[in-house]
Amino acid sequence: MKTNELKFDGLDCVQPASSDSEITGGYTSDLLSDVMAHLKEGEALLTIQAHKNTVAVATLMGAPAIIFCHGRIATADVLEAAAKENIAVFISANSQFETTCRFAKALGI
Amino acid sequence: MKARIDFHIHSCLSPCASLDMAPRTIVARAKAAGIDCLALTDHSCTENLPAFHDACVEIGIDCLYGLEASSAEEVHVLCLFDDLEQAMTFGSMVYNHLPDRPVDPKLFGDQPVVTVDEEILRLVPRLLNTGTDISFFDLVPMALDAGALCIPSHIDRETCGAVSHLGFLPDLPYDAVEVVGTIDSDIARRWPVVRFSDSHYPEQIACRFTEIETESFTVPALRAAFNDLLLK
Repeated sequence: MKTNELKFDGLDCVQPASSDSEITGGYTSDLLSDVMAHLKEGEALLTIQAHKNTVAVATLMGAPAIIFCHGRIATADVLEAAAKENIAVFISANSQFETTCRFAKALGI
Repeated sequence: MKARIDFHIHSCLSPCASLDMAPRTIVARAKAAGIDCLALTDHSCTENLPAFHDACVEIGIDCLYGLEASSAEEVHVLCLFDDLEQAMTFGSMVYNHLPDRPVDPKLFGDQPVVTVDEEILRLVPRLLNTGTDISFFDLVPMALDAGALCIPSHIDRETCGAVSHLGFLPDLPYDAVEVVGTIDSDIARRWPVVRFSDSHYPEQIACRFTEIETESFTVPALRAAFNDLLLK
């Protein structure tokens, strides 16, 4: 699925990617060191860690999209960093678990 | 003597800190702000402590040598030594527990090791502001055994604090706990509560500090001084 096609209940796109890229799966974690060790290129990052370092980790690992769960707000500096790296940013009103379930369904996993 | 202390300051070595945080700038600012003793506490690395030591000697101020170590759960812990060599040994052990993977400074920020004259000696390759593989429950006794004052950082913050990442503050023999917001009286009766600036920019130095009554700035004297801060 392309980043700009991702849609499910409770999900808001707060910043589309400037050029569409493929989401191959997802990785749900709130420990960025764990993300650095395990997220595979192409996987979206699902997390409540809504700060600039999350964008840096996503860039390093090749995540095309970040979904901030549980209604965490993406501040302007986060969006700016993500735009620079062509990472799509979404906010989900739901918990990491519910968001992961809905995301997996949307991807047909 | 009464003393104002600020034991949580990052230098330019921490990728999240401003490159203006050169050791001499930090020390001069702290002195001008009326701080009597300060500590440099970069993320999981002590490589800028020698330059910090030189700046403290030059400017004439008491100091502690520290680092803000990150546990495997990404809980931050201030480890403060009164001896530079001890701090360097402990710091190098902590650094070796960081993920062994060089990262692009463009993503996370530069990590320069500098001299007191701001010459860049080298760039530290491993990402400093991430977790080591040492559990919080091991890190605390390791720091205490190495001779450090051990103070969990900003325990009431939403990120990288003991409460946010562990769910509660484990009952361990910390020398104090660093708090940013309102003091929880149960915690303040159990551990001395301290406030430090957690400076990443020069203008933040001494924006928070703690006033203590202490005989000197050695680890045992400070431990005794902290005990007077306990909420009765």
